[in-house]
Amino acid sequence: MQLRDYILRRLMVLPFLIIGVSIVVFTLTRVGGSPIGIYLSHEMTPDEVLEIEQRFGLDKPVWVQYLQWAKGVLSGDFGWSGISAAPVADVFPLKLAATMELAAASGLVALFLGIFLGTFAGARRNRAPDHITRIVAVSGASLPQFWFGILLLIVFWANLGIAPIGRSDATVFASINHPTGLYTLDAILAGSLRAFWDAIWHLMLPAITLGYGATAIIARMMRSALVEELQQDYIDAARAKGLAEKLVLKKHARRNALVPTITVIGLTFGFLLQGTITVEIIYRWPGLGRWMAASVVRGDQGTLMTYVLFTSVLFLIVNLIVDVVYANLDRRVTLGK
Amino acid sequence: MMLDTSNQKKFVAKVDDLKVYFNSKRGTVHAVDGISFDVYKGETLGLVGETGCGKSVTGRSFLQLLPIPPGVLVGGSIIYNQQNNSSQRFETGSKPGFPNSRNFEFKKVDLLTLTGEEIRKIRGDSIAMIFQDPGKSLNPTLTIGAQLSEVFLQHRTEEILEMAGLGSEASGAIRRFASQRNRIFDKWLVNLSGNRSTKSRVEKAVADLVAKALSDTQVPNPVKLMDRYPHELSGGMKQRVMIAQALACNPDILIADEPTTALDVTVEARILDLIQELQQRRQTSVVYISHDLSLVRRICDRVAVMYAGRIVEIGTNNEIFKNPRHPYTIGLMKALPSADTARGELLAIPGNVPELINPPQMCRFFSRCAFATDKCKNQDPELEKVTNSHSVACFADVAEISGK
Repeated sequence: MQLRDYILRRLMVLPFLIIGVSIVVFTLTRVGGSPIGIYLSHEMTPDEVLEIEQRFGLDKPVWVQYLQWAKGVLSGDFGWSGISAAPVADVFPLKLAATMELAAASGLVALFLGIFLGTFAGARRNRAPDHITRIVAVSGASLPQFWFGILLLIVFWANLGIAPIGRSDATVFASINHPTGLYTLDAILAGSLRAFWDAIWHLMLPAITLGYGATAIIARMMRSALVEELQQDYIDAARAKGLAEKLVLKKHARRNALVPTITVIGLTFGFLLQGTITVEIIYRWPGLGRWMAASVVRGDQGTLMTYVLFTSVLFLIVNLIVDVVYANLDRRVTLGK
Repeated sequence: MMLDTSNQKKFVAKVDDLKVYFNSKRGTVHAVDGISFDVYKGETLGLVGETGCGKSVTGRSFLQLLPIPPGVLVGGSIIYNQQNNSSQRFETGSKPGFPNSRNFEFKKVDLLTLTGEEIRKIRGDSIAMIFQDPGKSLNPTLTIGAQLSEVFLQHRTEEILEMAGLGSEASGAIRRFASQRNRIFDKWLVNLSGNRSTKSRVEKAVADLVAKALSDTQVPNPVKLMDRYPHELSGGMKQRVMIAQALACNPDILIADEPTTALDVTVEARILDLIQELQQRRQTSVVYISHDLSLVRRICDRVAVMYAGRIVEIGTNNEIFKNPRHPYTIGLMKALPSADTARGELLAIPGNVPELINPPQMCRFFSRCAFATDKCKNQDPELEKVTNSHSVACFADVAEISGK
């Protein structure tokens, strides 16, 4: 199986990439100095500081510290999160669930809405629907998230008072169990309509802020790819066979237009991850992005390293998926050559 | 092979005063400006002319494949004289070309006024088209088999169901599967355990039809070819696939828009032979669009010479090539190298094709014509009969000059 070989080969490279990335990031976090600041308080005596230094191995050379960290990671110990005052491994799943819920909501909507809008506009080139979609898409791609997010916040939370902030209502949160950490899923599992509605309601503004840009990029790409495909000779050849316009569009043009769009969708994923940082800060969403932003400011190496490790692995896997989908859509692409 | 057109009055298509204009920023381009000609049953009609003279636009008009807008259908008609009922043709498909064995259902329609649904029934079934570049006219992401089967699914649903041993009792989902009209849950419906064997029988029937169509074009190993993608095939092979696709439903008319221009000469010869052989077997009329005079001379029964959106001369192969009457045709002949042309004697027609934006009322060949008179400047010549089958649009009597 060529496909399986390709995936295996790509996965085999993964550890080396992770080692490379972790060395670079570990070194970079040390450029600003020792991360000891996160553990200190004003009342501590020099002796106590020294003791902490020894406890966390901060008195040793940096490369020894890296090896210690790597050893810890291999045994499932991702270090101590200073800003959460808890082991990273304990806090991480909760933060991850929060971010995943947000990213999945906006990402999936962006994917389907983007492809739909792009097809809709591309098939009606230079007519009213195309122009309207263009306005939506161009504004989506050019409005900065920190500005758009704050704008929505001012209008719907501060002025109109109809949108909530944060991730859930405190009483609603206490009313059900949270086995998965994805509040919408938890609400479904608990069978609580009130909790589900609350989760969706809280998700709304952050997801719109995060997904708007991605939707715009995908829609624009899909539209231009479709317009280009519709001008190809094989489209006329398909029409000459007697196919209905709907079939020409769906079976021939859209499928081929998806090929370049898939690449953009892969890139959009990075855009989405990056966006979670801004959006989570604006809406006080307790996810990975906000956690990471705080740890950068405070120099919390354990948290930071885990975040970087996670995102790089995720990114590589997403790219792998994109490549496989790509080769499936366009048979001229041969993998692993 | 040459047909005597004088007593072959059975036309398959009658183009009458066809006018197709294109709106551009600089004015209206009169791409096709009032052309009329007949296509007779079983003949090959060559449409020759320079680039931009309206050959392809004429060909595409048959199937309403014009880009509208910016194109505008200003006037005229293309009467299609439907030869027979398509499903009957399918049943006697093993011995086509014997019209006596069937009931004819003569039906005349104007192809230009048909609705979308009506013209779709004709496209690929009664009238088919082959395009210039076979490399571009096949969808790169679908297999050859998948693309060919679309023709059958579109036009031969009943036959497919019959071949699969299903009559009219075929369930809705299967019927929709066999006609490419899938609804949202059909993908799931046809895979239900009750439907799966039926579905595979339908697939088998379609595959049989596709294999038969491919083997008609003499491709080696048609069954294997069906699973290949277009990029895995050579140019000649791709054009064979296109021909198989075009002739799949035994069309009455085949529009061939420079089908060999993108191919090299040896492949070209084989493709032409193939088209001719299939055409003669099935009594298909071919409208062969080309700028290659020597090729047209080789394969066409009748030739229409086009210049700047008009037909300037039309006649049988012999009449056009042995006795050309229009200065443009004569110019084209002189520009044609042959074995007995002496070195350096090849002549080019001076000047260029005039712009077709809002052309004035005069002969369009005026600026390039050696026989031009004042009359040509003030009047637009119409096609006039020289013989019963030969017409020319020119005021000058160039018979003697061409005799030179």
